[in-house]
Amino acid sequence: MECSFGLVGKGYTLIASDTNSARSIVKMKNDEDKIKVLTPHLCMAYSGEAGDTVQFAEYVERNLRLHQIRHYTELRPPSSAAWIRRVLADSLRSRKPYQVNLLLGGYDTSDDTPHLYWIDYLGTMAKVPFAAHGYGAYFALSTLDRYHDPTADLEQGLETLKRCIEEVQKRLIVGLPKWNVKIIDQDGVRELEI
Amino acid sequence: MNSIASRFASTSASAAISRDEEENQVAASMWGSTGGFGNLGQVGIPSFEIPRVPDPTNFLRMHTDDRNDPSCRIKIQHGTTTLAFRFQGGIIVAVDSRATAGSYIASGTVKKVIEINKYLLGTMAGGAADCQYWETYLGIQCRLHELRNRERISVAAASKYLSNLVYGYKGMGLSMGTMIAGWDKTGPALFYVDSDGQRLKGDLFSVGSGSTFAYGVLDAGYRWDLSEEEAQELGRRAIYAAGHRDAFSGNTVNLYHVKEDGWKFIGNYDVTTLHYEGPGNVPGAVPGGYGYDVRTEGLHSRGAATVA
Amino acid sequence: MSRSYDRALTVFSPDGHLFQVEYALEAVRKGTCAVGVRGKDVVVLGVEKKSVLQLQDPRTVRKVAMLDDHICLAFAGLTADGRVLIDKARIECQSHRLTVEDPVSVEYITRHIAGIQQRYTQSGGVRPFGISTLIVGFDPQDSKPRLYQTEPSGIYSAWKANAIGRSSKTVREFLEKNHKDDMGRDETIKLTIKSLLEVVQTGAKNIDISVMEGYNKVTNLDLSQIEALVAEIEREKEQDAERKRSRLAATAASEAAMSAGASAP
Repeated sequence: MECSFGLVGKGYTLIASDTNSARSIVKMKNDEDKIKVLTPHLCMAYSGEAGDTVQFAEYVERNLRLHQIRHYTELRPPSSAAWIRRVLADSLRSRKPYQVNLLLGGYDTSDDTPHLYWIDYLGTMAKVPFAAHGYGAYFALSTLDRYHDPTADLEQGLETLKRCIEEVQKRLIVGLPKWNVKIIDQDGVRELEI
Repeated sequence: MNSIASRFASTSASAAISRDEEENQVAASMWGSTGGFGNLGQVGIPSFEIPRVPDPTNFLRMHTDDRNDPSCRIKIQHGTTTLAFRFQGGIIVAVDSRATAGSYIASGTVKKVIEINKYLLGTMAGGAADCQYWETYLGIQCRLHELRNRERISVAAASKYLSNLVYGYKGMGLSMGTMIAGWDKTGPALFYVDSDGQRLKGDLFSVGSGSTFAYGVLDAGYRWDLSEEEAQELGRRAIYAAGHRDAFSGNTVNLYHVKEDGWKFIGNYDVTTLHYEGPGNVPGAVPGGYGYDVRTEGLHSRGAATVA
Repeated sequence: MSRSYDRALTVFSPDGHLFQVEYALEAVRKGTCAVGVRGKDVVVLGVEKKSVLQLQDPRTVRKVAMLDDHICLAFAGLTADGRVLIDKARIECQSHRLTVEDPVSVEYITRHIAGIQQRYTQSGGVRPFGISTLIVGFDPQDSKPRLYQTEPSGIYSAWKANAIGRSSKTVREFLEKNHKDDMGRDETIKLTIKSLLEVVQTGAKNIDISVMEGYNKVTNLDLSQIEALVAEIEREKEQDAERKRSRLAATAASEAAMSAGASAP
């Protein structure tokens, strides 16, 4: 029952994910951070098969860091997204594919644009203004269709994000009380309270 | 599993060389932090015999799946209750001691806490053999780490080692749900690791078929600032609760306490005795049995209406 | 059969030498000089830069490389070999973080690099790395600066201050005379430059200085800063020489006076 959302606004990208970690019917943890900071201006929310998610996220994290050290500059969001998609696509055709769904939020400092990519475990990638993974997509996409504004300032963007989360909390049978929200803008990545 | 070198560098020429060279020269050695696991995808970790059948995973499933085929040859031990929690005074680790194979109680005196070294404990849920073998193996690697780096391995690193190891066998039939508890430079640390490859850092975990019952007692009584005696009593009561309610858990409770100077075995308590008489004269214990009937004997819920 | 025999370049000579390894050390001795100096809570790397050709971009020639947030490496010898070794070390740094969740310690990565170098002295079909390295940095959760050296043979060792490459012996002897424990930042930088000036005649424009002051705190000095320091050092040297000269003159004068006095009566 994992859920994650993302949306772009004027000069920023927001990414939100629930914080539950479950095994069968038991909630093992309720404060797990499922959004990985990959580079100073790039975040990745991950969900999917237990084990695969963290393994994949850490693998990507370390490789992007390696890239940064090798080339003295961070990989830009579009290039990162393309590389990550490629890893997933290669993995899909291997003996044991990673079953991981991703939202990639970044901010390109070279041309001052926020980016959001929706990627699934099949290697599908789409550059989108807003996105959702998990059951949340069934509830929140219509909300986002109705309320998302690409020119919204941070306050309005957070308002829209809150609408989505509240809708999920109201209608989905499983309660997702705690959410982890990260913003990526020109200053880098920060965590937000909602 | 991908190693950084082999996967990332598929786009760069220099690393293509390095992979080739790795195969030539270090196939057998434990090299670098990956300790020989760097080429996991290609050769598989420390090689050991697997059945000479076309599909070992299916073979194993066929002969061990007692749910779909009660007459299967190998019955893997499953039912268990284990718990561990971090608190102000360290970490409490408590487990039951029943081993079941199907509906048969194979043993009532199993040691489900695996003493990895003086500072590290592992718990056992799921396949007993898998846990015992791999946690002992982990102990070997921890010792090697100590010898190579002249300092004790952190709990994070040890648990990650185990998690990477079992992740390499994902989907091949390993069954483990374990907690790694210990004390390192950062203080007391507790991790949950299972055979899906999931690894969680946390303050309180319970694993096994009786875990829901244990959680019921544990969550209600848990506080960070529990005294050492209170914490030990809580661990005992939680395992007792699971031993009482879960058919696949029981017999006795084994209780450990991890402190700065290593772990200490606190005691072994019979669940039936706990039920009727309690743990006896141990620190933190309240006199009397844990059992509901014992605890509430002589009490009644009749209203306070006057008797004429 | 014969193939496996002649594939090995590194075979012992009858008197127990590995010539290929010694030739590699020779390549190091021909390389530009690199100096590492440890202060109280700072560690400085100084390297001699080859003069850049008029039309060349100086930024593409790097002799000091970051391995991770907290570790820097300088080398002397074959630059191309250095690049390969650095890449291997960088991969290991990230790989270590991935598998152990902690950054590498300086000793760990030194041992790893030395290990790679050693392997290339004992494998078929390869030649040893023609470089020595100086590795500086800080261990996780620790404020003590570290300095290590590795050699083509795979030897590694820890130092308070050391030099590798061209004329390293002169520089090392200079450091042995002038190094003090518990030097501050400025003093450490100055000693580094001073020691390099022993072999770099062309002065500031052929010196590169990297200063590490803790986790993720690395600064490279600008040419102007180095020039200022070099000028200061020259001035001090001048004054020293001046003092020496006047002292000599004074003693000579007094001696002369004494001998004159003695012969006066």
